[in-house]
Amino acid sequence: MYLDKDIKEINELLKAKKIKPIDLVEEAFSNIENNEELNSYITLNKEEALKCALELEAKEVDNILFGLPIAIKDNIVTKGLKTTCASHILDNFIPIYDATVVEKIRKKNMIIIGKTNMDEFAMGSSSRTSYFGAPKNPWNKEKIAGGSSGGSAATIAAGDLKFALGTDTGGSIRQPASYCGIVGMKPTYGRVSRYGLVAFASSLDQIGPMTRNVYDNALLLNVIAGYDDKDLTSSKREVPDFTALIGTQLGKIKVAVPNYFMSDIVSSEIKEQVEEIIDLLRKNGAVVDFIDVKYLDKAVTLYQIIAMGEASSNLARFDGIRYGYSKEAKDINDLYYGTRSVFGDEVKRRIMIGSYLLSGDNAKVYYNKALSIRDDMKKEFQKVFDNYDYIIGPTTTTTAYNLDEKDDPLKSFMDDVLVIPVNMAGLPALNIPIGFSKEKMPIGLQIIGNAFEEAKIYQLGSFIEKELSSRGEDDD
Amino acid sequence: MMTNYIPTIGIEVHVELKTKTKIFSNSINGYGQMANCLTNVVDLGYPGTLPTLNEEVINLALRACLVLNCKIRREMHFDRKNYFYPDNPKNYQITQSRTPIGTDGYVEIEVDGVKKKIEILEMHIEEDTCKSTHRGEKSYLDFNRAGVPLIEIVTKPCISSPLEAKLYLEKLKELLFYSDISDCKMEEGSMRADANISLRKKKSDPFGTKCEIKNIGSISNVYLSLEKEIIRQSKLLDEGKTFKEQTRRFDSKLNDTVLMRVKETGNDYRYFPEPDIPFVCISDEMIEEARQSIPMLPDERKKLYLSKGLSEINATKLIQNRPLSDYFNELLKVDTNYKVASNILLGDISFYLNRTEKSIYDTTLTVERFKELIAFIDDKTLTSKNLKDILDKVLEEDVAIADIIKELGIENITDDEALRKVIKDIIASNLEIKKEYLEGHSRAIKFFMGQVMKQTQGKANPKMAMDILEEELNK
Repeated sequence: MYLDKDIKEINELLKAKKIKPIDLVEEAFSNIENNEELNSYITLNKEEALKCALELEAKEVDNILFGLPIAIKDNIVTKGLKTTCASHILDNFIPIYDATVVEKIRKKNMIIIGKTNMDEFAMGSSSRTSYFGAPKNPWNKEKIAGGSSGGSAATIAAGDLKFALGTDTGGSIRQPASYCGIVGMKPTYGRVSRYGLVAFASSLDQIGPMTRNVYDNALLLNVIAGYDDKDLTSSKREVPDFTALIGTQLGKIKVAVPNYFMSDIVSSEIKEQVEEIIDLLRKNGAVVDFIDVKYLDKAVTLYQIIAMGEASSNLARFDGIRYGYSKEAKDINDLYYGTRSVFGDEVKRRIMIGSYLLSGDNAKVYYNKALSIRDDMKKEFQKVFDNYDYIIGPTTTTTAYNLDEKDDPLKSFMDDVLVIPVNMAGLPALNIPIGFSKEKMPIGLQIIGNAFEEAKIYQLGSFIEKELSSRGEDDD
Repeated sequence: MMTNYIPTIGIEVHVELKTKTKIFSNSINGYGQMANCLTNVVDLGYPGTLPTLNEEVINLALRACLVLNCKIRREMHFDRKNYFYPDNPKNYQITQSRTPIGTDGYVEIEVDGVKKKIEILEMHIEEDTCKSTHRGEKSYLDFNRAGVPLIEIVTKPCISSPLEAKLYLEKLKELLFYSDISDCKMEEGSMRADANISLRKKKSDPFGTKCEIKNIGSISNVYLSLEKEIIRQSKLLDEGKTFKEQTRRFDSKLNDTVLMRVKETGNDYRYFPEPDIPFVCISDEMIEEARQSIPMLPDERKKLYLSKGLSEINATKLIQNRPLSDYFNELLKVDTNYKVASNILLGDISFYLNRTEKSIYDTTLTVERFKELIAFIDDKTLTSKNLKDILDKVLEEDVAIADIIKELGIENITDDEALRKVIKDIIASNLEIKKEYLEGHSRAIKFFMGQVMKQTQGKANPKMAMDILEEELNK
């Protein structure tokens, strides 16, 4: 099984022509077929992927990701390959252009295997709002994979392939990564171009890599990061080699743990494992302080106002006139009504709440006020980073729950209570798996860094990853 | 027009900016192309697309701020105006609500010899919608216009007559056109006007109920529709009737305004700051660059022309023809007879340009060649008839003027002595006719002129020949 091998080893094998890209592609599809019941994918790109793999045989192995299969979340547009956003309204939509990240991936000669399942328009935290049914957690198929990037998390956790892209508006990469026990990075807002990402909440959305380990994650971020003149919110900052600090000395780092992150909202078995990590860090010379960070408990409310307000506007374009599902209608109102009725309940709910929040004086009372508190929250985080290198804590309050559990739409936001503050502040954050619950479900640690310090996050992430794996070997 | 009421009028003008590309995408900003040829995924609001910001738009909007004397907002953002309509591809329009680029400006007009400032409340930047056409049961959408940059210029309710409205629009159009901000072609929709009007009895009364006349297709129709609206509203008020705030349009066939819809209260556009476009900071350099790029404006041109000895009428006529005026400004940089130049430009050359549907810049008449031409006219080598004969060649061929004159053999004899000798000889051999001349027969002088022209093969300068003839005959 080549795809289980280390990325450097695969690269050597490809270079030595001991294996071909098609071997990797075929292996990925065979894995996906074996794991079909996980429902990780909405669309598979088999024919094209095989063709692409054969074409690569004539090319030189020019980079470490050459020939490697990758899965793309289905809200990132792919030219000629159906992009549904897990919605009935786009279930036959074939984009005529590539997202900037997809262009970059193609340039590196990676091979797009398929489009992964997700919550409809990324609205949800269990991927159960998908028009195509929820993906399942590979660790226990009765349980959710998390969301909204549930399909990407599931396919990586199942070992189908090594690389996937997710998107994170309010924790949608880190939370499923935590539930499925994989590595997922939400980069700094502006680090990765959003061009071609079907917008949910424009001021929060960010694309990021989902992988089995920290090193692979940094490699994929190397590919997708950077300024894009098609996205005015993308940053012109120089893009470093995100793998550069991996394996280097941590030094005497200072780590903050917000008390809120270790409060009663978090299950005790998760807290215990996070405390073990804190001990590990202290043993290695780190200073770890428990601190109060203002506004953390307000983040979900702010998120709901900002995200739903923006979503109500972003989703207005799906009107059946130019693309996507269109209801046969006798007049324009009938067309709007008939077409937009096919949105799922969660999407409709968010559009309605968002429209309400922006209506008349509400915009001042809610949206503008939320934006201003968000600024305060950014400043609050900044204060922490004036004194600390990292903020850490659990990624989620519980482990993945059952597919038929917790259907209350308001409560489901609480799944993301620890990940949402990061989106509010526009900061980068990584989930790494740190252990398992008694139920044998993965537990994740969230490492938050200062803006544009992804490389530093990877440094700490890989350190913990290495410590835990050597400990795992000792346990054996 | 008789009315017992005082009208209060405010005008909103949408002007399409003359940029190369659209405001939020790199599609060409053009008119009159095949439907949906000038569009891309951004203009069509495809999922995942994002707006970029065309810097040329900011430059032109800043120019507009400067020529309209507006205060310039130094930090501005865009807002989304949310409403569903098929001509609105994203179902929101990117516009400016909270931070318009310009505020508190004015345009100065002259009403019956008295100067008045029409105050501008604000000016903001936005994108145009697509164009919809309805035929029978079907509607057709042309997205070529979607995303064309617009500025919207809103006056305060400070216009007090249809005449003022007309003068304001004419002045506004002239300013924007001369600043190279817009084509201002109302017939092509690159300038569109909406007028709000209400009536009241006395200045001290509160404003009356206002009616909006939407999308008026020409300045003269703005004038007409406001007059009609004053008559209509006056009649209602005289009868003691009240009416609701409403939107009307001007029907040029009916020559009257027609009700479109009664205004519903609280049109809710759910404005919020556009998250896809960061705040724009307007620097001193950007303003200076905009200032430098403003061509000379009409008032300044007129002053200049009058100071160079042009007649009032020629100065005004030149300004009405922008390319000729620009060309003339070039000419002012060389030393020549500007008065003669303006006569020729507005006379024979304009006639030629109209006939051939050309611009002065399509001809071969460089400023240097024009100067040469004027010199030949100035020293009387060329008569106005000669000029007509050679004009096509002058404008179409890149040959020295002197060579054209030689080639056509119309070189006038301007040598005083040579001509005098010819004339003396003619008189000497026609003494009978000289006698007739002295007796006052008018045909005698015509005979002598004919002889002079015959002898010189038409090359004699007629005025000079006439002068010498009379001198010699009266000796």
